[in-house]
Amino acid sequence: MSPLDDSQIIADFVVESREHLADIENQFLAIEEAGADIDDELVNTVFRAIHSIKGAAGFLGFSTVGQLSHEMENVLNLVRSRQLVPTPEVVDVLLRAADTLRHLVESIESSNGVDVSGHVSELQQAAAGKTVSPKPAAEPMAAAAPTSPKETLPPEETPSLKETPPPIDAIGSAEQSIEEDTMSHEEDNAELTMPAASWDPPTAPGNAEAPSAPAPTGAPPDTNIRVAVSVLDHLMNLAGELVLSRNQLLQTVNSTDQTGLDSVAARVDQVTSELQETIMQTRMQVIGTIFQKFPRVVRDLSNQLGKQCKLVIDGKDVELDKSIIEAIGDPLTHLIRNAVDHGIERPEVRATAGKNPEGTIALRAFHQAGKVNIAISDDGAGIDARRLKEKAVTRGLITPEQSREMSDREALRLIFHPGFSMAEKVTDVSGRGVGMDVVKTNIEKLGGAVGIETRLGAGTTIDVKLPLTLAIVPSLVVRSGSRRFAIPQASISELVRIKANDSSRKIERLNDAEVFRLRGTLLPLVRLGQTLKAAHVDIGPEEPANGTAGKALNIIVVETGHLRYGLIVDGLHDSEEIVVKPLGRHMQNSGCLAGATILGDGEVALILDVTGIATYANLKLANDDATSKLAVETAVETDRELQTVLLFRNGTTERFAIPMELIARLERIRGEQIDTVGGSEVLQYRGTTLPLLRLENHITAMPGEEVAKMYVVVFKVMRREVGLIVPRIEDIRNVATDVDVVTFREPGVIGAIVVDDKTTRMLDLYELTEAAHPDWFAERDAAKNERTRQWQETRGQERTPRVLLVEDSGFFRAQVTGFLEGDGYHVTGAEDGQIAWNLLKESAEPFDLVLTDIEMPNMDGCELAQAIRGDPALAHLPIVALTSLASEEDMQRGMESGIDDYQIKLDRERLMASVARHLHQQRSESRPEYANTAVEN
Amino acid sequence: MTLTREASAAVAIADGLEFATFYVGDLLIGVNILQVEEINRHVTLTPVPHAPECVRGVINLRGEVVTVMDLRTILGLPRGEVTATTRNVVVNSRGEQIGLLVDRIADVVKAQGDNIEAPPANVGGVQGRFFKGVVKLDTELMVILDVDAALTSDAAAH
Repeated sequence: MSPLDDSQIIADFVVESREHLADIENQFLAIEEAGADIDDELVNTVFRAIHSIKGAAGFLGFSTVGQLSHEMENVLNLVRSRQLVPTPEVVDVLLRAADTLRHLVESIESSNGVDVSGHVSELQQAAAGKTVSPKPAAEPMAAAAPTSPKETLPPEETPSLKETPPPIDAIGSAEQSIEEDTMSHEEDNAELTMPAASWDPPTAPGNAEAPSAPAPTGAPPDTNIRVAVSVLDHLMNLAGELVLSRNQLLQTVNSTDQTGLDSVAARVDQVTSELQETIMQTRMQVIGTIFQKFPRVVRDLSNQLGKQCKLVIDGKDVELDKSIIEAIGDPLTHLIRNAVDHGIERPEVRATAGKNPEGTIALRAFHQAGKVNIAISDDGAGIDARRLKEKAVTRGLITPEQSREMSDREALRLIFHPGFSMAEKVTDVSGRGVGMDVVKTNIEKLGGAVGIETRLGAGTTIDVKLPLTLAIVPSLVVRSGSRRFAIPQASISELVRIKANDSSRKIERLNDAEVFRLRGTLLPLVRLGQTLKAAHVDIGPEEPANGTAGKALNIIVVETGHLRYGLIVDGLHDSEEIVVKPLGRHMQNSGCLAGATILGDGEVALILDVTGIATYANLKLANDDATSKLAVETAVETDRELQTVLLFRNGTTERFAIPMELIARLERIRGEQIDTVGGSEVLQYRGTTLPLLRLENHITAMPGEEVAKMYVVVFKVMRREVGLIVPRIEDIRNVATDVDVVTFREPGVIGAIVVDDKTTRMLDLYELTEAAHPDWFAERDAAKNERTRQWQETRGQERTPRVLLVEDSGFFRAQVTGFLEGDGYHVTGAEDGQIAWNLLKESAEPFDLVLTDIEMPNMDGCELAQAIRGDPALAHLPIVALTSLASEEDMQRGMESGIDDYQIKLDRERLMASVARHLHQQRSESRPEYANTAVEN
Repeated sequence: MTLTREASAAVAIADGLEFATFYVGDLLIGVNILQVEEINRHVTLTPVPHAPECVRGVINLRGEVVTVMDLRTILGLPRGEVTATTRNVVVNSRGEQIGLLVDRIADVVKAQGDNIEAPPANVGGVQGRFFKGVVKLDTELMVILDVDAALTSDAAAH
């Protein structure tokens, strides 16, 4: 056998063994859970997996692997033949042996030198202990701990946690700090070694080229990837089409008659983009591959800490780019461990608090607004903002004055502060915060974001938002001097152009920094040209600075995790989908650049790192605090009621808007994917049928533009998913909600707004669907009548329920009034809390429910809720708060003031469901459930 | 990379070494031809802000973004101008393609192993640590550039 063949066989063996071992932990856990009630199928599967490894290892001469798998096989055989009950102790031994087996397989060449006698004797004792009670079996297990994989592996393979220097931007320190942290909880060193070895090696620190090449963390970097045969077939077809198109192209170019060139170009364009998408698809993997290791993490850690935790996993099938999957493993592990360690209380504490002694950690992945959301929630103690602040003051991170001014929500962000993670004993306080800054940094490197929601005593939810892919990034190409740069769209929130004669007036100076007042918010400004200028780099002649020259200014409003600022550029080019290329090793230290790309004309453009630019330009968080505070103050006076909308064109000129919160997701499809069934258009999508709407069929609109590829806006109405065909998407923007609800009003159109001097019609998706599928709504009317009847029965009153609607924006007031009246309620409107309060006190007829906005002049929603709860005559009233995404931050405060539920303003169905629910339930003494509708899906 | 080394060793044993040579200032410099990927006139660069001074910029080399370094700056000579004879010598250094801007291309030179002498501490005002050896040609001296040493980040960091 030639050496090459041999290494190929070994590589195959490693890949195959990896697959066998991939899910083994969860299989062991399932076997443990089943206990004496053995699932033959499952045990057989594991047995066969280990047996295959043993067989191949014997053949290839990997005696250590053979020995270990042989002993594991013995134990499994006894379990299979019901001579041995898989107690937790037995499963522990098997799990640890499996860990070592995995390490052996990963470093197969040196595997024969590894001493596995500890495992062998453990396994033999477990096998011999078939008649012995499980208790004594645990003893030798602990004694054998020194031979755990950590010590026995060759040094270069061992992730040495203790020796990792503490660079805070390396995930390694996260692992390290949590390690120290668990140590403080748990004296039992023998047990500690186990998770240490079972974790993945820490990432190499300081990966400056992100996001182009995220550090391969998590499971052993897989060089193989599984691709569905159907996807490969599709790729083959596309390759064939590409060859045909090339032939056509060559023919056309060579012939004198070039009339066909347009169509050939269109064909090449289509095939290329389809090829690109399909290739991207091969990189997509289900997130379940990471999730599957967490049951083990939770089990081990909760055993170690003497806690009882259950992990509920949802959304395993959500797909993400392979590179993101690889990079997200460590941060998620960290968050899960934190939830067990700091979130869930000890069983006795939980019992005293009247909770189930077993805590629940829910891990959910789902798509939302074109991103993947991962929510990690626990029903533990929650985070005490007050104690966080105290700790931050003692650590000198903030001054006592800052602490007093700081809202609870701002205080929560403190756990992401780098200084917090350096703390050795923060856990004593109940704070999380160990290494959370690292988690945040790593997620942001991936173009993601982390959010946190907590309720004291009820639990904490960490929300991670991630882009679907990294390799191809939609970007805006801008010009600075004579050079072009790309800015990833993900970090751009909007574009602002200041007219020539306006710039001097609109740009102000604050503490030596330029700021711009954007809808009442002060935005720090950075001039790209000045930031990039360096003595020996000529980026072309700089254009005259400042407004004095009378030039219009282009400001790109960018957003990084904690900071929002404006970048002044000299010009804007197109949006392009760029392929990210890493920069060479001599430019790794440039914080302002995230990589390079090759533009359509073949020239290289550098990709800007907006976080790095902020750091370089010295835009500090403190500065940000000051500006945002100023901004809040100004915002109260001005119209801060903003709505994020998707702007799109249907016909060539008509523009429409849809509130973003109502959109479940966007799909990109080709025209030929649309089927016509029984006269209506549908899209076959992942095994289901999605009914499609065309705007011009239901409202007064020009026919939609004919395009080869279009978007489908997917939303939910009456618990059904519906898709609206959208030929061209223009932008996603925050727009003011001064909607003209008269001029263009028709069923399906709320009214008109003006965006960039263009009239834009805001759609009402609910009415639009009703116009298209009136039959779906029949049950609604029946339900409405039934609801009213029931309500009247329970009350013994012959009147319609009365709702007090408190909302300062006339637009939203009109909308929500429409929703409520449609459902048969009597509605009284109030413009602010004060007016509402007077109405509540003076009105002859009692109200049955209060629906209130949070941010209002004079008296806001929270104050109103507090007043209601403090008045014995009114305290029973259900209060539902209305929120737009902008005011989501006040949720915590609202819950504390006695608000029962939060709903999004324009989500008609949920809002109405909530109103109905709260009207029918008498407000009970117990606090409402922890509700966060913004992340529910 | 290791393959290249092995291969070059094999060549050395068989019939001596081949060097691609070029001028930087008055200095005739040779690079083991097996380490040279191509020589082109691609000197229209995209400058990179905040990069070390020796980095002249990046180019698109058939779809890859390749760093182009100024060999003069690395060797501590004054920065040169791009002229009609300026060439971009693309070498492979530790698995990365890197372009070296040189003033003028010269011939390919063959040298037997025993003709190569150890470099003096200083060659034409340039520190000897960048060179692997010196070869006496008919009319002048050729110094053999240690590409990897010249392109280590600390040597090239100024």
